[in-house]
Amino acid sequence: MKYVLKKVLSCIITLFIVSLLVFVAFSLIPGDPALSRLGTNATEAALASLRHQMGLDRPLAVRYFEWLASAIRGDFGKSYSYSMTVTSMIADKLPITLTLMLYSMVLMVIISVPLGVYASYKEGTAIDKVIQIINQITMAIPPFFSGILITLIFGMTLKMFTPGGFVSVKISPSRFFGFMFFPSLAIALPKSAMVLNLLYSSLNAEKKKDYVRTAYSRGNKSKTVFFGHMLKNASIPTITFLGMALADMIAGSIIIEQVFGIPGLGRILLTSIQNRDYPVVIAIIMLIACVVIVSNLLVDIIYKLVDPRVKD
Amino acid sequence: MEKLLHVEDLNIEFHDHLIPETVVFDFDLDMECGEIVGLVGESGSGKSMSALAIAGLLSRHDMKKRGTIRFEGKDILDCPRSELRDLQGDEICMIFQEPLTSLNPVKKIGWQVEESLKIHTQMTPLERKERALKALADVELDDPERVYDSYPHELSGGMRQRVMIAAATIGNPKLLIADEPTTALDVTVQSQIVELLKKINKEKNTAILFISHDLSLVSQLCHRVLVMKNGYVVEAGDVKTIFESPKEEYTKKLISAIPKCEKVKDDTDDIENMVEVRDVCVSFTRKNGRKKETVDVLKHVSIDIREGEILGLVGESGCGKSTLAKTIIGLQKPDSGTITQKYPNTQMIFQDPYGSLNPARKVGLIMEEPIRNLTDMSPEDRRRLAEEMITKVGLGVEYLSRYPSELSGGQRQRVCIATALMLRPRLIIADEPVSALDVTIQAEVLKLMDKLHKDMGISFLFISHDLRVVHQMCDRILVMKSGVIVEQGYRSEIYEHPKHEYTKELLKSAGLTNISV
Repeated sequence: MKYVLKKVLSCIITLFIVSLLVFVAFSLIPGDPALSRLGTNATEAALASLRHQMGLDRPLAVRYFEWLASAIRGDFGKSYSYSMTVTSMIADKLPITLTLMLYSMVLMVIISVPLGVYASYKEGTAIDKVIQIINQITMAIPPFFSGILITLIFGMTLKMFTPGGFVSVKISPSRFFGFMFFPSLAIALPKSAMVLNLLYSSLNAEKKKDYVRTAYSRGNKSKTVFFGHMLKNASIPTITFLGMALADMIAGSIIIEQVFGIPGLGRILLTSIQNRDYPVVIAIIMLIACVVIVSNLLVDIIYKLVDPRVKD
Repeated sequence: MEKLLHVEDLNIEFHDHLIPETVVFDFDLDMECGEIVGLVGESGSGKSMSALAIAGLLSRHDMKKRGTIRFEGKDILDCPRSELRDLQGDEICMIFQEPLTSLNPVKKIGWQVEESLKIHTQMTPLERKERALKALADVELDDPERVYDSYPHELSGGMRQRVMIAAATIGNPKLLIADEPTTALDVTVQSQIVELLKKINKEKNTAILFISHDLSLVSQLCHRVLVMKNGYVVEAGDVKTIFESPKEEYTKKLISAIPKCEKVKDDTDDIENMVEVRDVCVSFTRKNGRKKETVDVLKHVSIDIREGEILGLVGESGCGKSTLAKTIIGLQKPDSGTITQKYPNTQMIFQDPYGSLNPARKVGLIMEEPIRNLTDMSPEDRRRLAEEMITKVGLGVEYLSRYPSELSGGQRQRVCIATALMLRPRLIIADEPVSALDVTIQAEVLKLMDKLHKDMGISFLFISHDLRVVHQMCDRILVMKSGVIVEQGYRSEIYEHPKHEYTKELLKSAGLTNISV
């Protein structure tokens, strides 16, 4: 328990440092939000008054702490480009992106873990080799390209879904999840190949360990040795990778949303960067940071549960 | 009556290479209930292979086995897998060399000790726990309850090996195969484990097949011995006959490789000190949760190393031997006290020649490294010096262009010594230089060190837990316990008239109580 508290505390500190860095970085990079909003023909007086209105003329430290105080309450300020609060702009997009991410994660585990375990269990057989070859190919395909292939095969040819036909969960949950399966698969496939490979090689490495020989010497069946002794040991490196993959998936989601026409965070992020709509960009970056940090926290906790050698 | 174990004409072939390689030839062995048989030989002699075959643990794909292995009449080589499993862990149990890696790191000790009961009996979890606690108590572990709930990494090496023995004997097997069970352990712990095996043999009438390269342990424990070389059993018979009148050359060589305790003159008085260590203290702070503990590793240690001597430093692991060595060489700063050295460039060689050489660099480059870092010698001179030193340790110049992985253990330790010689030191600190090596290779490395001592006048601080080796090598000996030098003196004083209790205990566990001089 103390271990968890310690980890949570260090997560919170990390999050504050990230927020400071991001806020300062966006205040220093060239590009004037007032200018981009009024256009190059605007008079100096009009620009100055808009800057004052947007609060840009006040000291950086003051602006940071004001922003931080409201951000903790869930208020990320107002968008420069639209007359909306950032929170309301993000609120209905965030669940879509998170769904995409978690969906991919679940698919990744469902695909990679059983196949990796099976291939290692059958090491050296024809089925193992077939899995390895398919795996190598899958690993080399980047998500956006697998997205295009999936659209082509499952959407255009097999007509299993309508490309670009996103359905909101409010209209039909079943059609929403049916549609989301394909973009999630596009994200999950290359990552599954990596997880599969990692799990496969760690299991094969475990086979040569001394304790496996001990387990056999007690009269265990191969199956018990494999599932009762080796799997937990081999899962330790895989868990680390799953954490990194989860963090990476949010980046994957942003690209895949474009390929499949999904109205998630990806699209707002791109337009906000183009419009120099910094409050929106900062809010999305902070959300991504949160996801990364929380997934690392989860990994640390699972780690502690699986491996007794992890110190407090 | 049926023999407990009958092995006849056992041949084992490897089939994972293109050319099949035979590793065991015509192995014969008969064992009765309650008998202890030793199987000795160097690594690679086929002793572990034979034992694994008897336990039914050689994988069936890449090994071809011919001959018969019968355990109570049942054919181990030909019976179906399920019948073999019924024997394994129930009638035939094994203990392995390295207790840390032989235990599953993510399972609790209790779970692992009980495992064979789970497989072979119908006991309830409560009965199993009771038996496991009794087994842990039987192997003389204090506080079995705590050990039961621990993980392997929380125990010491000796405790882990006791756990392995408890797990192997919990079901009262008829045959216990112990594959180098003491090699990875300290000398005092070694003799405790041997005593424990004796006790189990006596109380439960368990037959033990004891595999070792340590002949002195075999002579303490076993009734009969088989000597193996290159896959052949070269000599077999009862312990006394083999040790007193060995017939085969190889057996004689093995026996003579046991460091002998011969009387050599003690005449190193009136010689100047080359290193003076005065009142040195070293302590480490260890974080234990939030508490910080200070551990005193060296407590007011004062020693002299005299010109041209070989000084032995003995004691159990953890007593501070290596810390003292590091402090002398400057790798560890003392908290207080002074160290005066007459000559610069004192060098050190380490226990594990596998771990201390960078596997990605050729031997020549490794040897030139200290010179490159510390002097501005030209590359040609460096090369010449490396050639000179590698010939001094008995290897050809062609070894300079090889990688460490292409060398044997003994050759690697020679390379380590040659590297230490590069800076032309007057003193070399050797930290357990031969304890990772086979007994015959040990003898060669020791001979080399003795030669360097005589030819080049190099002094050694020789750190070891093996009192026989120390007796063979050293003029003067320091005995260390828990960071304190408890006794020091000439070899004859220490070995013949030990004063301190701890020295006596060490000598006793090394089987050196009655040395004839």
